[in-house]
This record gives sequence, C-alpha cells and structure tokens, in this order.
Amino acid sequence: MDMIQLIDLTKIYRGLKAVDRVNLDIEKGLCFGFLGPNGAGKTTTIRMMAGVLKPTGGRIILNGHDLAKVPSEAKQCVGFIPDRPFLYEKLTGLEFLQFVAVLYGLGPSPSLEGEIRELLELFELSAWREELIESYSHGMKQRLVMCSALIHRPQILLVDEPMVGLDPKGARLVKDIFRDQTSGGKTIFMSTHSLQVAEEVCDEVAIIQEGRIIARGTTGELRRQAGMDGNLEDLFLRLTQEGD
Amino acid sequence: MEDLLILLRPRLLGLKNSLTRHEGPGGKKILVMVGLGLAFSGGMFLLLCRVLAYFQSVQLIGDILARQLLSMVLLTFFSMLIFSNLITALSNLYLSKDLELCHCTPVSVEEIFISRAAFTFVDSSWMLIIFALPIFLAYGYVYEPGVWFYFSALHMNLGMAIIASSAGILVTMILVHLFPAQRTKDIILLLSVVMVVALYLLFRFLRPERLVNPEAFFGVAEYLSALKAPESALLPTHWIAEALWSFLDPLGDTRTVDTGFAAILVWTTALSGMVINVWVAHFIYFDGFSKSREAKKRLRSGRRFLDLVTGALSRPFRKDLAVILSKDIRVFFRDNTQWSQLLLLGALVVVYLYNFSVLPLDKSPIRIDFLQNELAFLNMGLAGFVLSALCARFVFTAVSAEGEAYWIIRSSPMGLRRYLWGKYIFSLIPVVILAELLIVATNCLLEVSLFMMVLSSVTIFVMSTGIVALGIGFGAIHPKFRHENIGQVATGAGGFLYMVAASIFVGLVIILEAGPVYVLFMYQVKGREIGPWEWLFILLSFAGAAVICAIAVLKPMKMGVKALGDYDG
Repeated sequence: MDMIQLIDLTKIYRGLKAVDRVNLDIEKGLCFGFLGPNGAGKTTTIRMMAGVLKPTGGRIILNGHDLAKVPSEAKQCVGFIPDRPFLYEKLTGLEFLQFVAVLYGLGPSPSLEGEIRELLELFELSAWREELIESYSHGMKQRLVMCSALIHRPQILLVDEPMVGLDPKGARLVKDIFRDQTSGGKTIFMSTHSLQVAEEVCDEVAIIQEGRIIARGTTGELRRQAGMDGNLEDLFLRLTQEGD
Repeated sequence: MEDLLILLRPRLLGLKNSLTRHEGPGGKKILVMVGLGLAFSGGMFLLLCRVLAYFQSVQLIGDILARQLLSMVLLTFFSMLIFSNLITALSNLYLSKDLELCHCTPVSVEEIFISRAAFTFVDSSWMLIIFALPIFLAYGYVYEPGVWFYFSALHMNLGMAIIASSAGILVTMILVHLFPAQRTKDIILLLSVVMVVALYLLFRFLRPERLVNPEAFFGVAEYLSALKAPESALLPTHWIAEALWSFLDPLGDTRTVDTGFAAILVWTTALSGMVINVWVAHFIYFDGFSKSREAKKRLRSGRRFLDLVTGALSRPFRKDLAVILSKDIRVFFRDNTQWSQLLLLGALVVVYLYNFSVLPLDKSPIRIDFLQNELAFLNMGLAGFVLSALCARFVFTAVSAEGEAYWIIRSSPMGLRRYLWGKYIFSLIPVVILAELLIVATNCLLEVSLFMMVLSSVTIFVMSTGIVALGIGFGAIHPKFRHENIGQVATGAGGFLYMVAASIFVGLVIILEAGPVYVLFMYQVKGREIGPWEWLFILLSFAGAAVICAIAVLKPMKMGVKALGDYDG
C-alpha cells in the first residue's frame, strides 16, 4: 500500500514554479530520501505535504487521506520536523510537548506522561524538561521538535534536513531512531543535503531539480540509470549537471 | 575613519536598495505614508497657530503661556528622546544580529561603537525632529521672528538630540555593564511602561482642565504659579527655550541666557557627551557586548501560579482549545514586554472612570437627566473606540502572536476554523468584561436611568462581539509571523485597516441607535406618545444594528479562515 502519494503536485510563487507537477508514490515502511540542490523545491514540497503551504495544483494523499479534502485525518497520520526549529520560546520543553500532544488529540493521562518521559530520555532532554525553550541550544530545539513529531506515533514522518545543528552523537541517535521507525512499519520522507545520510539511511531516493523530479530509485538503480559506479555524490553531481 | 565609513555602508546601501528596488514598500505605500505624515504635520501646524494666536491676544499672561508651552514641548521631546535612545541603543549596540560579524573583523571597538551610536541617534531621533518642525514653524508664523530663529531652532534641536542620544547610550552601556543585555532590556521596558503610567496618572490627577477656568484659583499669583513648568537652569531644554524665546519676544525682559552663549552651551555639551561616550565605550562596551552573547536565563519563577491560572481559565473549553488558551496565557505572562502593557490598560481604565467622576454636570445649562443620558449614549461610542484601539494591540495580534512557531498549528490536525473561533472566544471574554466594566461604572457615575443602563450594557456587549471578530479576522487576513516585537504588528497596514473598519462599525451602530433611543427617551422623560410608524422605525433601526453586528462577526472570521488557509509564508 502507498503511504504517500503526490499527484501532479505544483506550487507557483509569484509566477515562479517552485514545484512543477511532481508525482511520487511511496510504500509503507520505506525511508525515502528527497535530494536536490539549494532552491530545487525540497522544502516547499515537504511544507505542502505537512499542510503548512497550500499547493497551487495537484493532490497529496497521506495514508489514504486526501490532504485537501480531509486535512485533519491526513495530518493526524503525520509527524513534521521542519529544518528550522521555531518553537514557543516562553514554554518549557515539557509544556511544549504536552501542548503538541493535545493538539493531536492525546488527552492528559498517565500514559501520555510516561510517553513524554520516554521521549525526553531518548533524546537526552530530561534534565531540561522544566527549562524555558529560549534557553535551549539549536541542537536541543531540533531534538525537542523530533520528540514532538513522534509523540502521537505517526504513520508518516516528514523530515526537512534532519541533521542540521546536531552534534555527531545526536546525528547518530536520529539515524538509529529513523531505522527503528521504518522497521516498525513507519514511512519516512526526508529531504537532506547530506548524501552520506541519504546513503546510510534511505531505502530509496528521488532527486529534484528546478521543481521537477529528475531521477528516482534505489541508489543502485540510479547508478545503473546513470551508467556509473561512483558514490552517491558523484551520481548526484552528474544528474544535476545534466539537468542544467 | 575608513573602517567607520565601511561600517556605515550596509545601512546606507540597505536604505538605497529598499527605496530603489521592488522588495521595499511599494510606491503607493510610501505615498500614503508621506501623505499621512504631511496631513498630521499640517494639522499640528494649524492647531498650534490657532493656539498661539489666541495666546497672543490674551493680555498679561498670553506670552507667559506661549513661553511655557515652548518649554514643555522641549522638555517632553528631550525626555522622549532619552527613552527612545535607551531602547534603540540596546538593540543597535548589543542585540543586533550583525554585530558578531562586525566584532569578528579587525575594526577597532571604538569605531564599531561610533557606527552603532550613529545608527542609534538616527533611528531614535528622526521622527521626533520631523514632528518638531511644524511646532517651530507655527511659532515662527505667529511671532514672525526672522531667519535666525529658524537657524537656531534647527541647530539647537539637533544639538539637543545629540545630548539626549549621548545620555541614553551612556545609561544603556552602564546598565549592560551591570546586568546582562536581555535582563537590561526587560528592566528598561518595564521602567518605561511604569514611567508612562505614572506620568499619565499624575498629569490627569493634576486636572489641567482647571487652567482654563481661572475662577477655580484664589488669585492671579496662584494661577500664574500653576502655569509654570518645572525647569532647571542646568537642563539643555532651558538654554534652548531661553535662546529661542529671545528671538520670538526680543523686547521681553525675562531673558536669563544670551543666545550665543546658549548655542555654545548646547554644542559643547553635545560634543562632550560624544567624547565621553567613546571614552567609556573603550573600557566597557566590548565587555557588555560579550555578556549579551551569553545564554538567556534558565530559571523561571511563578510556574505554580501560572498553572493555577491557566487550569482555571481553560477548564470550560474542550481540550484542544484549552491547551491553546493555556499556551497563550503562559507566553503572555512570561514575556515582560507583553504583560507590562496591562499596567497601561489599568491606568487607562482608572483615568477613563476618573474623567466621568469629575464632569461638572451641575454647571451645564442643559437639563441634568437629559445630559446624563445623552453622555451615557455617547459614552457607548467612546467606549467602542477605546475598545477598538485596545483590540488593535491585543486581539488583532492574536494570530501573529504564534510567531514563527505557527507551523505547529498549521501542521496539526486542528482545523483553521476551530482555531480561529477558539482565539475569538478567548479574546471576547476579557474584552466583554472590560467593556461592561467601563459602561456600567460610568453609567453609575452618571446616575443614568434603568433604560439607558440596560440599553448601553446590551449594545456594548453586541459591539464587543463585532470589534473582537474584526480584530481576529483582520489579524488573520494580515498575519505577520516574523516580528521582533508583537507590539509592532498592530502598527502595520493591516492594523490600520482594522482600526478603520472597527471605527466605521462602531460609528454605524451608534448612528442606527441614536434615532430610536431619542424617541424612547423622550417618551420616558416627557411622556410623548409613540406612533405606529415610530415603532416601526425603532424596530428597523435596532434590527439594522443587529444585522451589522452579525455581519461584523461572521464576515471577517470567514475571510480570516480563508486567508490563513491560503497563507504562503
């Protein structure tokens, strides 16, 4: 079953096509990497999928729910981790997680408190749970956003540049968590600049350039398509240069 | 010196680019703003010309009044400039994001300081200097003093602005040296709010309206002493006022300072202030800057109290709305720039009620019961406008207050309609409480009839529902999620449009109710019969007011939901 379907997804900003009729279908349990140079349309696509931006055209179907027709049901299945962790600076980490949990329909309960405690421990934020978010470092905020995205156990994780601001320990932790999630049947759609991360974590990747998908497949398939043996970086550079 | 010019260059280039490229405010917007500025200045010029011409016509004390007005204007400008510089200096010298880049470069600390001090001076002084222009032009127009007056007014005001800037910057440097910059910002903001509230209350309780009624004083001497503004010979405003007045009233015998000497005093003080600041900056500026880069405070207090408050207030709502209300309350009370404005609100309510308590109704030639009820009716309009202005700050900004964390709401399963109506209900409750407090309390002070009490209470309630919906709706149509300070959001084009819409709405309701209220009141007071056509008129008017209120509630909310759904960031 396809957990994510993008059908002719298009976004036009003041006459500029940021995303141009993108079509993708992603199976359950996959970690899907979304690669592309700066300004290619990665963040715009993810923000449309998260329901933060309204598409100019096309459809987004998440776990069988059309985002335009039944946004609440579609969003209920999704956890979104943006590239920049803008949060409510005057809330504590704990208050923020409780706030997000209720937004996703989880009532205050002992099981929720236990869930929050576990997530904070997992992301090594327990000692900071009672502190205002404004005193967190960038990496801590990023980890807090990840906690909030996982709190309602979403079927789909949308992740925009997950490793920005994380130290090597944090980056390793996140990669392990992503692997755990996909092995548990969750689907991850992840944009990244880091080809190393894509190679390590993703089952399949797509490359977007100037708003269009120019290649898609496993890294092995892409190598075969491009007729080369090098690493993903060589492949990426070759494909995006051809696109130019 | 070359480095200093390089440091000033980005600001000048930024200004040039915003004026010449399309990214800046559009041509129409600039034209509107210039037009509004000119209209304001022109209005101020005309008003002051009339006042000064009237003063000239008053024998014995006319010139004293004009001289005192000049002193008060200069003193007000001077104190406002100091405060404005205090706040601007903090941003420009310590908190600006580009400062780290500047401090990484091999430019001396003094040059960085001078460039930032120059920005501070320009940012905090330009508007006040422009506002000062029509005032001095009006003095010139009425007193016809000659060209030296204008020249002196120009250079002495410039000197005064430099002195105020130097003082503001010096105090800021010392405060940041003693406390971290973030804490200093809180202290300065809180102090400025407390000071404004204190000045406002003090000014009002002095009852300046008594000055236009000399009969209230026992003698001329007492009246003249009441007119005098507090002024010290050591203040730059005193030197400037004396010097300028000597041009306006060359034959007067009240001069204590020679014009040339006053100019020397102003400019030597200004230049000394600049030199002293650079010297002090050499020792403490970088130290303060370094402190300002330290992490924000970790410890919080009052969490239990906030838990109690949010728990009690959010209990009536379903859990998704309750959690948003709870979040809004916590953010509001943990942000000093936000909750401190409640002090201003409290002062406003006190002065509003005080004004009604000192109304000299017994001196009016109009029948007192008629006057009481007429005032109560007009008070609904006044309260409506006051509430609109308050809602511009607290309700119009409710959506933008999510800031850049708005993505959390947008990506959550909560529908925008529910979110926006939730914000509406949270805002409506305190606004209705405040509105009823103003209306019922003033009605009690005016001792109005039961009919007027019921009518005004119901009208202000219905009006509040429309004012709040306009605020939430317009705030959603013109959201500004990227802002340094939520207070600035209300001052944009969206806030202006909201104020226009809310004012029209309040005006329409008052106009529609005026006719039927008059008929009903005359029936009650004079026993005049009401015919069938008059009953129809009454019904239609009240129905019209109700329809306008319903439109004011539903239409902007619907437009707000659509606009937020289409929002592209």
